Amino acid sequence: MHCTRLLIFGFLVFFLARIPTAVALTEEEKNNIDLYQRVSPGVVNITSTVIEHDFFLNVVPRKGTGSGSIIDPRGYILTNNHVIGDGKLEVTLSDGEKYKARLIGSDPDTDLAVVKIDSPEHSLTVIQMGDSAHLKVGQQAMAIGNPFGLGQTLTTGIVSSVGRTMRAENGTLVEDIIQTDASINPGNSGGPLIDSSGKIIGIATAIFSPTGASIGIGFAIPVNTAKKIVNELIEKGYYSYPFLGATLMNLFPYIAEALRLPVKAGAMVIEATPGGPADKAGIKGGNRKAQIGNNIVIVGGDVIVSVNDEQVQDADSAIREIRKLHPGDKIGLGVVHWDGSSGSVSVTLGEKPRGVRAGQP
Amino acid sequence: MYWKLPFCPKFSGLAIPILLACIALAHTNALALTSEEITTIAAYEKVAPSVVNITTEICEAEVFFCAVPSMTGSGSGVVFRQDGLIITNSHVVSGAQEIRVVFSDGRRLEAKIITSDPDDDLAMIKVDPGDKPLTAISLGDSDALRVGQKVLAVGNPFGLGQTLTSGVVSMTGRTIKDEGRIFRNLIQTDAPINPGNSGGALINLDGELVGLCTAILSPTGSSIRIGFALPVSRIKAVAPTLVYPWHRLTAWVLAILLAAWLLRRIYRNQWPKYDGQ
Repeated sequence: MHCTRLLIFGFLVFFLARIPTAVALTEEEKNNIDLYQRVSPGVVNITSTVIEHDFFLNVVPRKGTGSGSIIDPRGYILTNNHVIGDGKLEVTLSDGEKYKARLIGSDPDTDLAVVKIDSPEHSLTVIQMGDSAHLKVGQQAMAIGNPFGLGQTLTTGIVSSVGRTMRAENGTLVEDIIQTDASINPGNSGGPLIDSSGKIIGIATAIFSPTGASIGIGFAIPVNTAKKIVNELIEKGYYSYPFLGATLMNLFPYIAEALRLPVKAGAMVIEATPGGPADKAGIKGGNRKAQIGNNIVIVGGDVIVSVNDEQVQDADSAIREIRKLHPGDKIGLGVVHWDGSSGSVSVTLGEKPRGVRAGQP
Repeated sequence: MYWKLPFCPKFSGLAIPILLACIALAHTNALALTSEEITTIAAYEKVAPSVVNITTEICEAEVFFCAVPSMTGSGSGVVFRQDGLIITNSHVVSGAQEIRVVFSDGRRLEAKIITSDPDDDLAMIKVDPGDKPLTAISLGDSDALRVGQKVLAVGNPFGLGQTLTSGVVSMTGRTIKDEGRIFRNLIQTDAPINPGNSGGALINLDGELVGLCTAILSPTGSSIRIGFALPVSRIKAVAPTLVYPWHRLTAWVLAILLAAWLLRRIYRNQWPKYDGQ
C-alpha cells in the first residue's frame, strides 16, 4: 500500500517537474532558448573603421563588421584577426552599449586576435571555453554573431565534420577546423560557435560559398587552438612560434625520382635563412634551378625526412611537427643531402620573427 | 531540512531522494549532450561507413595529339550491398572514364559502372572490396516520412569530404522537371544540399536511407535550403533492374518475341476464334 502511494507520489513529482517544459516547447528548444539567454550577453559586435580618402581627398570611412566573444571579466574579447583589420575599433555589447576597444594581440597564422574594452561600471558576461578535442559529428552547434551587420543573431545547426584544414589569409595551414551547417555569413566572423552546454567550441571564421553568403558550409577555428595562444596574446601581444629558418617545398615522388634522390617524399629546403637556426646547424638550401615536367624547381638543398624521429611526408607535415614545439627546443632532423647521403642534424629552434611569410617554419 | 509527507510517513525518508532524482532527471539535459544530439550522432555513426565520396575523371578527346586537360567531378554514393555495389546518381558517373571511390575510413577503390539509368537519375557502380566486406546501408521507408520530421544528409559537397547536414522534410511528393525528364514523388528538404552531395544519402534519425540527394533548386547553383531527394521506395522498385541489367534486356527480348509471335499469328490469320459455343 505504502509502496503504491510512494510510486504515485514519485510519478506526480516527476510529471510536475516536467510540466513546465512540456507546455509548448520541446526540451531542445527550451535548452536553446536558455543557452541563448545565458551566452548572448557575452557576444559582442565589433566595428572596424578605416578612414580613407577618395580621389577628391574627401574623407570616406570604410566600415567592417564582425563579432567577438568576451573571454575574460577584465574585458578581453576573442575575435578573428581579419575582423580587426587596421582600423579604429568599436565594440557594441548585446545591450547596445558602445565602447572603444584597443587591439591587445593578434596572430595572423591562426587568424585570431584579442581586443580589450575598459568598462569599469559594467559587469561583463564571460563565455566559457569548452573542449574541441572530442567533438562528435552530429552534435549541435550554434553560432551567435552579427551577420551583415544586422545585429545579434542566433543560428543553429550541427557539427558537419571535424578535422578539416584551411589556409589563413597569409597562407598558413590551420588544422582541426570544425565544419558546421549553422548559417555563418559575412559579419559572423569572430563570433563563437557554441555546443549544447553553452561553451565555446570554435570561432566562426570562414565559409565555403560561390555566392558569398551561407550555403550551409561554414568553418570555425577550434577553441583548443585559441586556448593555446590566447594567454600569450594577452601577455605579449603575439604568439611566438618556433622558427627553423628554412623555406620548405613538398618533395613529390616524381620530383624525387627525377632528381635521383634516395627518398620518395619529404620536405625539400629551398632556402635556409642566413644566420637562422637551420643555417647555423648546417642545413643547406637550394642553389640552382631545374625544370621538372612543367615546373621549375630550386634544387640542391637538403631534404628533411623526419622531425624528432617522426616521419614527414611533405612540407606541411614538417611544419606541423615543428609547430608542436617551442622556441628554444632542441630537435633532431633526419635529412637526405643532395649527394644522396643521409644524416641527422640537431637544431635549436629560434623564435619566429614576426612578419615572416607562411611556409617558413 | 526534512519533509514530512502527509500520506506516507514511513517512507518519507526515501521520498526525498526520489524527488531529487526526478528533478535531476528533468534537468540533466543542460549538462552534456541532449537526447536529440545523441540520436543524431548515433545515426551518423551508423551510416558513415556506408556513404562514399566519388571522384570521376572525364577525359576529353585529344586534338592534334595535344594533351587535353581532363575534367574531374565529385559526387557521393551509398553502399547498397556489402559485396561492393554502390548506388549513386547517373549524372554523377555519366561519361566518366575513371571512377574512384573513397570510403570514410580513407580506403580508395576503383569502380566500374554496372548500370546507368538517366530516366530515374540512378546508377549502380561496383567496386571490388577484396576480403574486407563493406557496410551496406539499411533501407528505410520513405512513404512513412512526415513533413517536419528531422532528416540528415550525408555527402561530399564541393569535394570537401564527408559532411553531415541536418534539416527537416519540407514536403513530400514533389514533382520536378529537368531537361525534359520528370521526376515524381521527390522528398524536399531544407538540409543543405550542394553540388557534390548528389548521390549521397538522406537518412532518418534511425540511420536508415530514406532518399538519395539528387537535385537542388537554386538561382546560384549552391544551397538555398531547397533540396530534392529521390525516395527510397523508388530505389527499391528499380533496384533489381539496376543490379541485374540483363533483366531489362531479357524483358525487351521477351517483349519483342511476343510481338513477333502475335504478328505472325495475325498474318497467318490463326487468331484463336471464339465460335460462340
